[in-house]
Amino acid sequence: MGNNKLAAKDFITIGIFTALLFVVEFACGMLGYIHPYIVASYVVMIPLVGSIPMMLFYTKIEKFGMLSIMSVLLAIIMFVTGMGYLGAPLIIGAGVIADLIAKSGKYKSFKKTILSHGVFCLWICANYFPVVVTADSYRQDLIDGGYSTEYCDNLFRAINSKTIAVLLVLCFVFGCIGAVVGKAVVKKHFEKAGIV
Amino acid sequence: MRLDPRTKLYMILIVSAVVLMTATTPFLWGVRILMTMVPIALLFLEKRYASAVRFLVFYGVALALTFFFLSEESSGILTAILIGYCGIVVQFLPAMITAWYVVRTTKIDEFMSAMQRMHVPDGITISLAVVMRFFPTIKEEYMAIRDAMKMRGIMFGGGNALKMIEFRMIPLLFSCVNIGDELSAAAITRGLGGKGKRTSVVELKLHIQDWCLIFLFTVAAGIFVAGKYFL
Repeated sequence: MGNNKLAAKDFITIGIFTALLFVVEFACGMLGYIHPYIVASYVVMIPLVGSIPMMLFYTKIEKFGMLSIMSVLLAIIMFVTGMGYLGAPLIIGAGVIADLIAKSGKYKSFKKTILSHGVFCLWICANYFPVVVTADSYRQDLIDGGYSTEYCDNLFRAINSKTIAVLLVLCFVFGCIGAVVGKAVVKKHFEKAGIV
Repeated sequence: MRLDPRTKLYMILIVSAVVLMTATTPFLWGVRILMTMVPIALLFLEKRYASAVRFLVFYGVALALTFFFLSEESSGILTAILIGYCGIVVQFLPAMITAWYVVRTTKIDEFMSAMQRMHVPDGITISLAVVMRFFPTIKEEYMAIRDAMKMRGIMFGGGNALKMIEFRMIPLLFSCVNIGDELSAAAITRGLGGKGKRTSVVELKLHIQDWCLIFLFTVAAGIFVAGKYFL
């Protein structure tokens, strides 16, 4: 493809993979209501499981903007499903930076793809933003909203302004690991089948 | 009753914003419940009785459990899980009902032309429309995959978590990629992504019922915010 403008086909691809990624996020999110420590382990689960569709998505990226649009869509969906708007800047920021990194490798370099996926995975931390930024009122809200005190205590022990840095790093690391795993899976199944 | 997609989007916006703020007093709970009842009533009007009743029962049970059976002191693993699930249902179901109502009752061309009228960039519009249409498709495909696995006697991938994910994810991705290709072919045939300005068969106009709902939701949100933060 010679031109650099996104075409209708690209938008449809973005839509499909955003939906897939969100299904993964949602499935993992459901587990989080069992125990708060699982909420903290999103940073491990979602990059690893989500990396399979993401790596397939990366093979389809040829132009700048696809990752950025995806992050905007994720921000919108997060808001609609009630996760809040506090994380939106982080999601979109991570998306644009990931896009720029991948662009610097012309969307073909595998090293850049790993790095880019690591950065993109930071959007998961947006889930934690209400917990960290508005800690006190959010805690009160949860208790008033019917959560047990025990759940809240555990949640805030696992996620607070000190651990958020660790979680961000973990997100990035597992994003990179996920990229390698995802790439292997894509290679095993899709390249052999000639889909990509 | 036909509603303008813009009204529906406004409803989503308001409900999602209210969902972020937890109700703390009985009065605020009332406002919240009232706001949840509107999309359910709309579902009834659209003759989607099954889903409307299902949402109603689901929401009602969760509310009843939260108010009458569970308290902050309750402990034990089962109650903990129950509290968690009731919490998520009561907290997020209003937004989900609204989103579900909008996704199910908005035709894609209506949605597109509404977004166009609001001058949203094409990229966002098309991608979002695909996302909206795609959730039911993913569910269908997933069901088909599950059936196929059941027929061959594969349960839980032999207890191996990795296999479990692989067995479900890979076929799902295969079919999604194929559907995506078909979808783009269909969309291009209809002139999506062309240079000219797209016209639409449906004439969008805000009717009296749209204005009523917009007014209702604005007032409800106003009361909620005022009741929570200023009174």
